[in-house]
Amino acid sequence: MAIDTTIFVRDRSGIAAYLDWLQALTGVGLILFMWSHMVLVASVNLGAGAMNTLARFFEETYMAQVGGPLIGITFLLHFVLAARKVPFRSDQQATIWKHGKFLHHTDTWLWLVQVSTAMIILIMGSIHMWTVLTDLPITAAKSAARVQGGFWLVFYLILLPMVELHVGIGFYRIGVKWGFIKRKQRKGMKKFENILTGIFVLIGLITIIRFLTLTI
Amino acid sequence: MGRKLKFEIFRYNPNDPKLVPHTDLFDLEETDSMTLFIALTRIREEQDPSLQFDFCCRAGICGSCAMVINGRPGLACKTLTKELPNNITLMPLPVFKLIGDLSVDTGTWFRAMNENVGSWIHTDKSFDPNAQEERMENAVAEEIYELERCVECGCCVAACGTANMREDFVGAVALNRIARFMLDPRDERTEKEYFEIIGTDEGIFGCMGLLACEDVCPKNLPLQDQLGILRRKMGWTAVKQLFNFRKTR
Repeated sequence: MAIDTTIFVRDRSGIAAYLDWLQALTGVGLILFMWSHMVLVASVNLGAGAMNTLARFFEETYMAQVGGPLIGITFLLHFVLAARKVPFRSDQQATIWKHGKFLHHTDTWLWLVQVSTAMIILIMGSIHMWTVLTDLPITAAKSAARVQGGFWLVFYLILLPMVELHVGIGFYRIGVKWGFIKRKQRKGMKKFENILTGIFVLIGLITIIRFLTLTI
Repeated sequence: MGRKLKFEIFRYNPNDPKLVPHTDLFDLEETDSMTLFIALTRIREEQDPSLQFDFCCRAGICGSCAMVINGRPGLACKTLTKELPNNITLMPLPVFKLIGDLSVDTGTWFRAMNENVGSWIHTDKSFDPNAQEERMENAVAEEIYELERCVECGCCVAACGTANMREDFVGAVALNRIARFMLDPRDERTEKEYFEIIGTDEGIFGCMGLLACEDVCPKNLPLQDQLGILRRKMGWTAVKQLFNFRKTR
């Protein structure tokens, strides 16, 4: 219940600031990881050998065995941190949904897209990580077999745009929230973000097609 | 002959328990340079004298006539009907207490907000009415003035997704006020003191950066830039506090 009052109790702990820092930093970390991940997986387009060599390098240096679970933890931590702002209560959901519909405002929708993609990525991303990390080493042949099975083809065709949208919008929104993108640069950066998202989706699609056509 | 405009206007009087919130339709012929304020005045004079809406200056200075125009908060006196389609829907600002129809009580909210953030110059210096006013650099004065242009219309609050979902969020207007006092050399508050006011989830860290405030502000205040600056400043203050805390232990 809201009570009109002139006494304001302050939270001096700074906890909100630390959580916001962590949310942004885990976000930046995951964006960089996702972009690198796409480049590494796309190496299959240069030939199965290229991807296998890269995968072997990451496993021989234990970066996959250690880094993989670390990324998993960062991924879950980022979800918990960002969920602080996500409306889980039905009245808040109704409010933001109506608000978004009436306001006709792109940036408000961008956030709503991020919230919805987040829920899908949480489930599908976890499944993907579990499947890949419990079946090391990563090889082009194994990945191709998965995609050619049919189920995983649909799975990745859904997960790919979800991740790229979330990452692209996240990149723009972190820039705006922390003042790296100024008023003058906003329009240009939004366009850049859209192009970047498009490019990564395209690379992803080409890679999926490559896996489909790879002879195992 | 001007366009035939169709107005759909929210009607409700919270003091009349028999009424239910609904919308009424009004037809009006558009005239040259017609603003929504002119249109509403004509509807009230010619069609329904019971229609409630706020206005005062008619020049985008007082901020009284803010309302939701086809889904977007804006000032009725600054909105030309020629910029709008034939069908115009008018709703009262959300978040604020409804007085009736399009009229809302922004005053109580703004009073509480200004008290909450200490929206005045905090100084220990005693005021000498005979002394000359303290001087400041022209550039600083202009920077302050840029933020001081806020008319407290409430559009930024009404357009804010966070403020709509969470009534404890202070809104862009309050953060802009703090940014204004941070610039003012006469205000003796330290960064730590500012942090205590807005370094919370009700303050700058509650802002989700949706930037509807920036996009609807009738005074075109640089809210995006100020919110970014504040988040960075308050973020660094928190980091500095963390290291100071460790030192003192």
